[in-house]
Amino acid sequence: MAITIIKDFCKGCGFCITNCPKKVYELSGEMNKKGYRLPNPVRIEDCTECGICDLYCPDFAIVLEKTKKKGKGKEAR
Amino acid sequence: MSTVGETLKLLHPLVQKYLRQERMPHMACPGCGIGQVTHSVLLAIDELGLTPQDTVWVQGVGCSSRITYSTWVGDNIDAHHGRIFAVATGLKMARPDMNFILFTGDGDCGAIGGNHFIHACRRNLDVTAILFNNGIYGMTGGQVAPTSPLGAVTTTTPYGNIEDPFDMCQMAVAAGAAYVARWRSTDFKPLVASIKKGIQTKGLAFIEVLLQCPTNFGRYVLKTSSPQEVVKYIKEHSVTQKDAQKLSRDELAGKYLLGEFAYRPERKGIVERYQELLKAHRKE
Amino acid sequence: MSSGITPGRYFVQGDEAIAEGAIAAGCRFFAGYPITPSSETSETMARRLPEVGGVCLQMEDELASIHAIGGASVGGLKAMTISSGPGISLKLEGLGWGIKNEIPYVVVDIQRAGPSNGVATRVGQGDLYTIRYGSAGGNHCTIALSPKSTQEAFDLTIECFNLSEIFRCPVFLLSDETVGHTRELLAIPPEDELKVVKRFKPTVPPEQFVMYPLDTPGVINYPFPNIGEGYGICVSPYTHTPKGYASTAQEIQEKMAKRLVYKITENLDKLVRVEKQKMEDAEFAVIAYGGDARPAMAAVDIARERGMRVGFFRPIILWPFPDGEVLKVAEKVQTILVCELNIDGQLSREVARAAKGKAEVFHFGSGGVEPHLPMQIFNEIRRLYK
Repeated sequence: MAITIIKDFCKGCGFCITNCPKKVYELSGEMNKKGYRLPNPVRIEDCTECGICDLYCPDFAIVLEKTKKKGKGKEAR
Repeated sequence: MSTVGETLKLLHPLVQKYLRQERMPHMACPGCGIGQVTHSVLLAIDELGLTPQDTVWVQGVGCSSRITYSTWVGDNIDAHHGRIFAVATGLKMARPDMNFILFTGDGDCGAIGGNHFIHACRRNLDVTAILFNNGIYGMTGGQVAPTSPLGAVTTTTPYGNIEDPFDMCQMAVAAGAAYVARWRSTDFKPLVASIKKGIQTKGLAFIEVLLQCPTNFGRYVLKTSSPQEVVKYIKEHSVTQKDAQKLSRDELAGKYLLGEFAYRPERKGIVERYQELLKAHRKE
Repeated sequence: MSSGITPGRYFVQGDEAIAEGAIAAGCRFFAGYPITPSSETSETMARRLPEVGGVCLQMEDELASIHAIGGASVGGLKAMTISSGPGISLKLEGLGWGIKNEIPYVVVDIQRAGPSNGVATRVGQGDLYTIRYGSAGGNHCTIALSPKSTQEAFDLTIECFNLSEIFRCPVFLLSDETVGHTRELLAIPPEDELKVVKRFKPTVPPEQFVMYPLDTPGVINYPFPNIGEGYGICVSPYTHTPKGYASTAQEIQEKMAKRLVYKITENLDKLVRVEKQKMEDAEFAVIAYGGDARPAMAAVDIARERGMRVGFFRPIILWPFPDGEVLKVAEKVQTILVCELNIDGQLSREVARAAKGKAEVFHFGSGGVEPHLPMQIFNEIRRLYK
């Protein structure tokens, strides 16, 4: 799965971090310009492409792209 | 239909297709469930093939409305507080061919808007109304709502709420709405299915969604700032109708029933009946 | 769309004439709540609107009515509601939505004796300021016309609809129980003699269209796109940008307030409608409107028979108040007697203001229930005539 976090939309609520069944996300040290701490998909290789993070995100800040291979690589924008 | 201001190189596909990009990110608080419900609404719209040309978003006043207003790429009609159903009656009777999705809140629908809500259900007006029930008045800073739980401490009930909360779904059923259901903002699959069913049902579809308000409900009622805690509270205070049958009366106290409460697609509504009236009496 | 009316001569109440006028103007949505003395209009609309393919609904209350007609107008239909004093009070907040979003529709007030429920079945004239200043927040002007007869009730209702489209705003027909319930001749003209203004539509594509022309506050005959026409319209009760996006910026609030006020004040020349009788050599003027107009005219005739140089002036448009015309009267005569069916003095206050001290202005009021009798007004003329 290609996971993109749209930095400007994230409000640091933490739903992606707490609800991912595979604990792919962690709270990163990076902040967006509004001061929200961003999530970071550190364990992307464990991602099962369930899409729960996208559904739980209230701010449309997670854009997923299903790939055939697991753990395609992450990009934070 | 909307001009794109700052173009981001990559956007959520639903945002790209349906929302005004210059209005994003929307102004909900961090962790608020409104964005989740909006996401479910957009999924339903997408799966049904509705378009900005044939679908109007109608709002009232309160978080549900202020946050969703002017985000939809099509027409957004934001009514005065409590009057969303009255405005929707005019809109729908003028354009019975269009789809109307109403975004209303516990005060907008259950307090000041109570009368119009009841009559819209009675008339079985062919619109889909989503009630964003967060158990508190969020936009105005945390006052008690008709849906606040008994005992809740809010800014206008500092000693605890002494009124029982309103079961809006039962009111909708009693007043005659064609489709009535209740879900939580985190019940993504059933909520999307319900919204789709509601849109496709002729008559008034009333879908109540229990959602988290970390800023006011969390802060005043639960003494927490964590959105996850409020979601947990909602989960602990809700139960499916099937599971409810196994619980005692005491165990059920203070819990919301989830699921569908009415599905009466055969029940005619004012839109259909008015068309029949015109057929019978129109002279030109 | 055909007019939906049948030309001819009819013997009807003012209330019914209003309904026929609305239909002739192209009104195809009516929402109301029964309230004496306006119910006859609602009942006529209920019978007639379906005949012409329109929608007539009795809503659950007055608030639902004003909001429903706002929705219907946004939905593309010319719309109207009707009430009387207490119901107009209820509609005032909802009226603000129409004012702020520049939504054309017509609100009819068949005034009755007040305050509060008053005497439901009898005349009063207490709502002049209610309709002008009653909606929260100020920062707007009002247009209101008032008929004196059944025929005028028909004609002015059409005029109200036309003005609502030209100025893109709610317009009042301020009538009263006397005119509403008097049964007399109504002559409905042939369709080609009707002057009906159609809704203005944009001539530019959506990306170029400005929904709320805050930067050109005086512009009128401005397009009003509706839902489902591809313009992605945004309508909101909050102060908003030209696109319709809610804003708290002072600059936007200022522009919006000026737009709502100036669109009327910069076009006053198009909004003067008055009636003058026997004013050419008058030294004394009697001013009245609505149900008190014809008794006042009759009193003027009695005065003239006695050799007194008395004239009659009637504002047909109450708002914006015809200041210029009233000032002309005040400069001509020594005394102005304002007859109205209230004790607190409403029309007389406006006349005194517009007269700028050029003539003495007297208020001849009554609590209502009956219009003044011509002799009552004449006795007052005689008392004050110099």
